[in-house]
Amino acid sequence: MVGLSTGEKLFIQAGIAQDLRTDGRGRLTYRPISIETDVISQANGSARVRMGGTEVIATVKAELGRPNPMQPDKGKVSISVDCSPTAEPAFEGRGGEELSTELSIALERCLLGGKSGSGAGIDLSSLIVVEGKLCWDLYIEGLVVSSEGNLLDALGAAIKAALSNTGIPKVHVAAEALDNEQPEVDVSDEEFLQFDTSGVPAIVTLTKVGKHYIVDATLEEESQMSSAVSISIDRHGHICGLTKRGGVGVDPSIILDMISVGKHVSEELLNKLDSEIVAAEADEEE
Amino acid sequence: MEFVTPEGLRQDGRRPRELREMRAEIGAVSKANGSAVFEMGNTKVLAAVYGPREVQNKSQQMSNQALVRCEYTMANFSTGDRMRKPKGDRRSTEISLVIRQTMEECILTHLMPRSQIDIFVQVLQADGGTRSACINAATLALADAGIPMRDIVTSCSAGYLNSNALLDLNYVEDSAGGPDVTVGFLPKLDKVTLLQMDAKLPIDVFEDVMELAIEGCKAIATYIRNVMLEHTKQLEYHRDG
Repeated sequence: MVGLSTGEKLFIQAGIAQDLRTDGRGRLTYRPISIETDVISQANGSARVRMGGTEVIATVKAELGRPNPMQPDKGKVSISVDCSPTAEPAFEGRGGEELSTELSIALERCLLGGKSGSGAGIDLSSLIVVEGKLCWDLYIEGLVVSSEGNLLDALGAAIKAALSNTGIPKVHVAAEALDNEQPEVDVSDEEFLQFDTSGVPAIVTLTKVGKHYIVDATLEEESQMSSAVSISIDRHGHICGLTKRGGVGVDPSIILDMISVGKHVSEELLNKLDSEIVAAEADEEE
Repeated sequence: MEFVTPEGLRQDGRRPRELREMRAEIGAVSKANGSAVFEMGNTKVLAAVYGPREVQNKSQQMSNQALVRCEYTMANFSTGDRMRKPKGDRRSTEISLVIRQTMEECILTHLMPRSQIDIFVQVLQADGGTRSACINAATLALADAGIPMRDIVTSCSAGYLNSNALLDLNYVEDSAGGPDVTVGFLPKLDKVTLLQMDAKLPIDVFEDVMELAIEGCKAIATYIRNVMLEHTKQLEYHRDG
């Protein structure tokens, strides 16, 4: 936990009120973001994202599976997050489980859409191989390596980068199988399909401290928050998911205001992420 | 299965007495007091050290020496097959214990009474020799945290397959059923602090294999020392610049 004196707390709060935070940023500025792709060789796709002192790794593994009978035209995606004790000694043993679950659920809400799978940030219908019989299951796994605040945005960015790094093997379906049989398949180990990630949203968390709200809060700033709203927004400006954390009530008009600010910030963030991802992929090819 | 070709090459192209390529990076976790990433071939581990700090659980406090704790965790994506392992399974607990005992031995614990040092090791990629890689990473992290140590402790494994002593086994060689000798070594004091072996081996062959593992430890120690020197030079440069 963060131990802050009364003076430090007041300093952080007053800084936010004056649009000059302790590290010199304005209220709506992110810390420097750097992205590295293909960091875990045994996964289909992976990325490491550093946001200031926060560092997370996301990996994507693809396995062939059967689609859910309720949604025969969609693949399946699961997201799970682990908090390593290297990030915070309190995560030792089972200590990180609560936060891990909170983050996993929030990410699923922000990226995967509801039970029907419609409106998901990740295009689930592109994962289908044979309708009703065969689909790709994507297992997205996140690991928090170093935690200095704003884990959700960093994880969202890492998943986006890992997905664009993911190559899904091309599958040749041998022959049209009978209705009840699983079709025979030949998974290519040379040809890969790139995953279309243009629709994957970015997550922007607005943390309310005092009367104002900030993006990309550090651990110290998060300890002073009254509530936080995480919004996932895609390129077209659609909201793909939303979570409010923190117990303090917020006026509905303020929430709407936060969403519009979040939308504005997300445009910059998406542009920044896209250029970083392109740079990382170029680096890797060299 | 053939693990050493008649030309004397292993499956990954190494000679029998050759280490995998190493890479080390100090200071990967900014919040920790000390941290390091250590790679041996495809095995990649991250170690972070918190402390010396106040003892969290007062009943464990010792008035004459520091309390050293260690936790070993494997990332879900670290192995080839995707799996969900419960935390604190027997294997992890055993490796945590081994690492703790090895590191405790080389830390000058009597200089820091009534304090606690936490070592967390996180396996990011597992391809054989995670135990050794964790110890090497922990050494670097402890050094980065500025914790007084007797010596740098390094670790390396060696095995015996197709009547050849092999240094630094990867996962395929490790799971081939031959013996796997893991050695922890203090190079300056010339002392073995950790020795583990499974499977059976004639005593004279064991001597060779252990000797080979110790040679590996010495080579790793030279590498680690160079990494630390380079890191210190960088720090000095930043201070002066």
